[in-house]
This record gives sequence, structure tokens and C-alpha cells, in this order.
Amino acid sequence: MIPFLLRRVVQSIPTLFLASLLIFFVIQLAPGDFLTPAKLNPNISPEQIASLERNFGLDRHPIEQYLLWMKNMIFNRDFGLSFQYQQPVLDVAIPRVLNSLWLVLLNLIFFYAIAIPLGVYGAVRQNSLGDKAVNVVLYFLLGFPSFFLALIVIYFILQVRNATGWDIPINGMTSNGFDAMAPLEKVWDVLKHLLIPALVLAISDAAGLTRVIRGLMLEVMRSDYIRTARAKGVSERTAIWKHTFRNAILPIVAGIGGLLPAAISGAGLTEVVFAYPGITPMILDAINTQDLYLIAGFTVLGTVLLVIGNALSDILLAVVDPRIKVG
Amino acid sequence: MTRVTTVPTSTPVKAPVRSQSQLSVAWGQFRKNRLAQVGGTMIILLYLMAIFAPFLAPDGLSNYSTSNITRFHPPTPIGLRDPETGAFGRPFVFKYTQQLNMDTFVNEFKPSAEKCPIYFGVRGDSYRILGLIPGNLHLFGTGQPDCKVYLMGGEDLGRDLLSRTLYASQISLTIGVAAVLISTLIGLFMGAMAAYFGGFVDTVIMRLVEVLASIPTLFLLILLRSVFPKEINPILALYVILGILAFINWGGLARVTRGQLLSVREQDFVSAARALGASDNRIMIRHMLPTMTTYVIVTTSLAIPATILTESGLSFLGIGAVEPYASWGSLLKQAQDGGLSSLNTRPWVLIPGFFIVFTVMCFQLLGDGLRDAFDPRKRS
Repeated sequence: MIPFLLRRVVQSIPTLFLASLLIFFVIQLAPGDFLTPAKLNPNISPEQIASLERNFGLDRHPIEQYLLWMKNMIFNRDFGLSFQYQQPVLDVAIPRVLNSLWLVLLNLIFFYAIAIPLGVYGAVRQNSLGDKAVNVVLYFLLGFPSFFLALIVIYFILQVRNATGWDIPINGMTSNGFDAMAPLEKVWDVLKHLLIPALVLAISDAAGLTRVIRGLMLEVMRSDYIRTARAKGVSERTAIWKHTFRNAILPIVAGIGGLLPAAISGAGLTEVVFAYPGITPMILDAINTQDLYLIAGFTVLGTVLLVIGNALSDILLAVVDPRIKVG
Repeated sequence: MTRVTTVPTSTPVKAPVRSQSQLSVAWGQFRKNRLAQVGGTMIILLYLMAIFAPFLAPDGLSNYSTSNITRFHPPTPIGLRDPETGAFGRPFVFKYTQQLNMDTFVNEFKPSAEKCPIYFGVRGDSYRILGLIPGNLHLFGTGQPDCKVYLMGGEDLGRDLLSRTLYASQISLTIGVAAVLISTLIGLFMGAMAAYFGGFVDTVIMRLVEVLASIPTLFLLILLRSVFPKEINPILALYVILGILAFINWGGLARVTRGQLLSVREQDFVSAARALGASDNRIMIRHMLPTMTTYVIVTTSLAIPATILTESGLSFLGIGAVEPYASWGSLLKQAQDGGLSSLNTRPWVLIPGFFIVFTVMCFQLLGDGLRDAFDPRKRS
């Protein structure tokens, strides 16, 4: 297992390196920099601007900036300074990444809790009334952009709130007076805020996966070894969950690695709608202020997450499918 | 010498065995799929709607009065019966007046007693259909600038939301499709290059695909959009977003094309063509790339709805279509203006979203239909 992991890490270095290069130079291509608004301000003298440029390293050649950035990132875990917040990028970014991760994790739990039972049900009771109803609803949901679904849900929650006074949190991550709460209360408060965004995201994403699971299950259920298993007198439950399901989900497990970053970037629109303090609202903000290192930092973190996710899915695949040898 | 006369036996005229091309088989299958046809028909209607949007819309793309601001004008119901006599007559809308509610400080719209009759074929804003055919005829309207029909209400500047939505369909329906077509071309070209040249070119292209895939999509989109200044020419902004969408999506197709071409290269028909002296270009274009047809048709038709969704998301974030142009996504942006809790005072701003849902569903039906039509296992 460990040599395998090491090999994965080594293999991902060139990709990470090239991605960081691309990210950095795409940002360099952007017109203006963080100091552009300051330069337009007549109250700031050219000397001040020059000293700011020196402090941020903006006066150097882009290649030099890149190398310096890489060096600091690898050896000092220093992603540079966020101009806007006047803090190291990691200090600004990590809480946001964690916030997004909580949302995405809860979302993934709902995602599988919805998609797997529905997909299996659709395959086992193929063409039944329930299967058809589920199919129609899912087909309809496939067309919904996640942010639009979120807006509709918010509209109905507002109606409920106006009618009954039941306060379902739909905004932000914490309530007022969060700091004064007891630790358990805090967890509960955050969970309450996470619930609706995570559920909305899961529903809008689950439509696709449910259809895939149903299709894969149907394909495996027709195979000979399932007939053999049934002929041996295996219970229906074992035939479906142990023999069919385990084989049917292999292609899905192979894709789990891409899920984490895809979910983080997919959650972005929902974060914006629910004013959730995740990654995407901050990136949009950073783009507006040309906060170069913050954008680069987030994108690099996202890329690292993707590489980690891919390695995880390889390991998971080996756990689920004994035919694949790791190491 | 005896003459042998043979009675001409009448050989039954055999119907020539018509060999069917793969496309005609698929077309036959597609004809049997009712749902896919419905999807396809609806898509044609949607495009007709987009082309004739200026005629169908009662108002211009960006028409608003600066003196009489009708911010978030509520939808105006269309009356058929005269309120006093109860007799049926020409459809009309009531003129709305605004009043500031002194308790809540919210501008309230109230219908007045004044009726504005609706005419079909009124003269109004001038336009050019497809940029060519000039006209100023509109399907319906009141012809009075201060008493307009708001079938879907008004938006934040008081412009007619229905007109904006119809105009937005031109952008929403074009960008997604064009981006997919361009990225398909790039994907095929890059894949073919990688397979053909091999070696260094192959490595570079495949690495690029990998790197593009390793950066989370939304971040990459935002990053690429930030290369261009925020306040560029609105038309240019549309091309920018089109280009970006095309640029990030070609990787998967390039990878598949490369794999397919590498395996096809070893097959007999390619060796035969080479033995006949066909040039490399001819082999590539006439013999090898056509093996991708089915795959390309199916993936393209399924990539279109996905790209329409992405475009709507970008426009929603404010980095897609910009004022004065609108796409369905950017029209939804105003649902957020002024805090979410004001959403239930103006639910009609959500209507453009249903256009997205409907379009994506139609494309999805069509795509699924095409996929099944090309799948030999699903033939009946």
C-alpha cells in the first residue's frame, strides 16, 4: 500500500507543477494588478506605490515571482500574502476551504443516501409504477441548475416562514450570537445552516447518479453469475446487495476521486445563493480586487484536493474490487 | 440443327437489397422514439422563438423609463370583461400607479381604473430580425409607453421581464451550443494530432488535458474570465465566455479520439488504404475520423445541455452575459438583489429559470434518443 501511495504522489507532481504554472500565468495575463486602484488614487504618491510594489514583489519579473512563489509554497507552506486581507493566504483560505468541505461532506452523505436506494429500487422493480415515477421526477430535476433549485427552495421556505413563523436558517453558516454558544450548541447551529444547502445540492446532483446506478444494476443483474447465485438459493437480499450492487458500483467508485473537487466547485453556486462562507464567494471577491495570491492559493488548494481525491478513489477501488492489486 | 428454344423463365425480380448506412438505421430508430422527437420539435420551436424574439416581445431589449421608474412592476393580469358592464370585449390591462407605503417604506403598485386596450400587431420599438430584416411590428402590446403589458412582471430597472427573457433566449440558446461545437472541433483536432504525431506532441497535448482536468472547473472558469477586464464591451464578453466554455471542455473528447485513432490505425482497412497509396490526410479524414461519428454525435448532444447549465451558472455569478444583454442565468441574478427575504415579494423573477429547465430537458430527451438510436443493443 505504501509504495503504491508513494508512486501516486510522485506521478502527480508534474501535473501539480504544470497546473500551478498555468494558474500563475493566467493570473499574470489579467490586466492590472492589485495596485491598479491605488495608482488611480491621486492621494497616494508614486513613492508609496513603489514601496508597496517592492513589498508585494510586484516589481520583479513574472518568472522570478513564480519561482519565489513556488519556493515559499513548497518549503515554507507560505502561499504568499493576501493583499486585501493583509494576512497570509493560508490563514484566509483554510477556514473557507474547511467550511466548503463541511458542506460538501454533508452533501455527499445525502447524495449517496438518495441516489443508491433510488437507483437500486429502480433496477429491482424495473418498470414498476414507482420506478417510472422516480424516473420522471429525476428527469425533471436533471434540467434544474443547482442555483435555480436553491432559489425555488428558498422561495418556498420563505412562504413557510411567513405562514408559520418557523425559522429555517437559509443564510450564512452561523446564527447571531454564535460565539456565546456552548460547543455542542455550535455544532447544532452549523448543522442547521448546512442542512438546506447540502440537501438542495444533493438533490440536484443525485438525479444523474441515480440513473447511472439503475443502469449499471440492470446490466449486472442480467449476468450469469447472478443467475447462478440465485440458483444456489442465495436470498434475494444477498443477491441484490452483495452480488449485484458490489459489482455494479465499481465504475462509480472509480469516479469518486473526481467527486470531491467537483463537489467543491459544484457547491460554489449554492454557496453564493445561500451566502455561505465557502470558497467560491471569496474567489469571486478576490477576482474583483485582483487579489492575485489568494486566487492562486485557492486554485492550487483545489488542485491538490483533486489529486488527493484521485489517490483515495484508487485505494477505495482496490478495497471494493479484490481483482485490483495495489502495490 | 434443332433449334432449342428455351422458354425464358421469368426470374422473379428481386428487390435490390438496400444496404443501409449506419446513419439511416439510426434515423429509423430515432423515428420510433416519440419522446426524443418531442424534444427535438420543442428545440426547433425554441430556436424559432429566439429568432423572432424581437417580434414576439412586446418591448425592446432594454427599454425603461427614467422618469417613471417601474422597478419590479408586478405582472399585469389581462382582463377580458369590462369591470362595469361585464361584457366581453377587447383584452386590456389596467394602468398601475405607484405609491410609497408610509408604514413600510415600500413602493406599492396598485391597478388604477384606467384601462389600456391590448392590440395585436402594434408598432413599437424597431428591430432587425437576424440583423437583417428590419421591422417595428410587435405581436401584441398597448402602444402606450407608460401603460405597458407586463405578462411576467418587470425587473429591477422596470424593464419588461417577458421581453428580456425572449431576448435572453438568443444568448442562452447560442452560447451553449456554439461552445460545444467548437470544443468538439478542438477535441477532435487535438486528439488526432496526438495520435498522428505521437512522441513529443502527444505528451504535450495529453499533459495539457490532464492539467486542465486537474483544476476544479468552476475555479478554472472564474480564473480564465478574470484574464479579461470586467468592464469589456458586452458583445465581446459574450465571445469571451463562449471561448472559455469551448476551451475547458475539449479534454475528454481529445483523449477518446486519440485512443480510438490509435486502435483504428492498426486495422486492416487503414492498411488497405495505405497500400492503395492514399495520402495521410485522406486516411485520417476519410477513413479514421469517421469511426468517431457515433461517439461524437452522442457526446455532443449530451454535452449541450450540460454547457447550457454551466453558462447559466456563470451568468448568474455575473461573469457571463452582462448588461444590456441578458441570458436566462443573468436574469435570475436579480432574485438575489436586496436580500433573499425580498424574494417572496416578487416571485416572478424566477420565471426565466423555467426556460432553462425546459430547454435542458428537451436537449436531454433528444440526446438520450440519439444515444439509444445509435446503440445496437437497444434496437427493436
